[in-house]
Amino acid sequence: MTATGERNGAMVRVAAVGDIHLSPDCRGLLRPSFETLPLCADLLLLAGDLTRHGTVPEAEVVAAEVRDLGVPVVAVLGNHDYHSEQEADVTRVLSDAGVTVLEGESVILPVGGAKVGVAGVKGFCGGFAGRSAGEFGEREMKEFVRTTRRGAEGLHRALAGLADGDCGARIALTHFAPVPDTLAGEPVEIYPFLGSYLLAEAIDEAGADLALHGHAHLGTEHGMTAGGVRVRNVAQPVIRKAFALYHLPLARPGERRGESRETVTRTSA
Amino acid sequence: MSAGESEYRIARFRDRLAREDTAELGVRVEVRGEAVLLTGTVPTAAGRDEILRIAEVELGGIPVRHDLLVACADPPDRPEELL
Repeated sequence: MTATGERNGAMVRVAAVGDIHLSPDCRGLLRPSFETLPLCADLLLLAGDLTRHGTVPEAEVVAAEVRDLGVPVVAVLGNHDYHSEQEADVTRVLSDAGVTVLEGESVILPVGGAKVGVAGVKGFCGGFAGRSAGEFGEREMKEFVRTTRRGAEGLHRALAGLADGDCGARIALTHFAPVPDTLAGEPVEIYPFLGSYLLAEAIDEAGADLALHGHAHLGTEHGMTAGGVRVRNVAQPVIRKAFALYHLPLARPGERRGESRETVTRTSA
Repeated sequence: MSAGESEYRIARFRDRLAREDTAELGVRVEVRGEAVLLTGTVPTAAGRDEILRIAEVELGGIPVRHDLLVACADPPDRPEELL
């Protein structure tokens, strides 16, 4: 990046934050920082838990923070955004403000003559390989694990759908964590409530260049899937800023990075 | 007060933080000797004050120490280059 914030080279400048937990008492809190985005970023990704209780008035606060920023805004919801069982209304309020809200879906954004694909899903908990909940026993337990599985399948489908889109970069956006690396700092006992390895498996199998998540406030920023995809926990308490900024190289059309990763993953799976 | 009783009071305190208006699941509550330590980052100073008020009600009689930060709303000073 140049001193004036312009791009110099084939890369996408990704701004991302999760867990901003806005409510009417913090109206306008992030807006001044978000207004600097056109100078330093090509897109803003929101990794869920945008509200405190998932109500419409809270969603309206979020909408006002991100409306007409001058960069595309793509979001997934988090567990807080589901708390009042008004997630459809929260989604509508954000969509009306121009935010693309993904749940097992993807979007392709034009960036400097290239395309950037974002696949998003809230995800769910369940734990990590070797220490995870199983789809067995009571109906409630099976439904719990099936919820996790459906989320991961949605992410896989959304990422796989981007494979044919000739994207220079593919980003997986979730609320729950795909790997335990970025949970370091959280009590180990609650890891199963913070994410699921099924999300990482979907990311590795379908392919991505970067995975962003939130949810784990006491975790750490940096991690990697077993297949070598970089993972960043962008929960605001972790990044300690209004947003984190990543410069991600853009592959030229027909020259996708990370294809070998897929092979490695399949071999090790 | 027995150790068992304070354990249940801490659990009730955590439950209130999650259920009530604070909707706070990101604060760590740990027993440190005779005291309870609250750590984590919260969205606003008012939110931090409310957490400490609930702590006073639920944990009255137990010394409460805290190191709660208010989230920074400033933009980052540099990007991470993912080469």
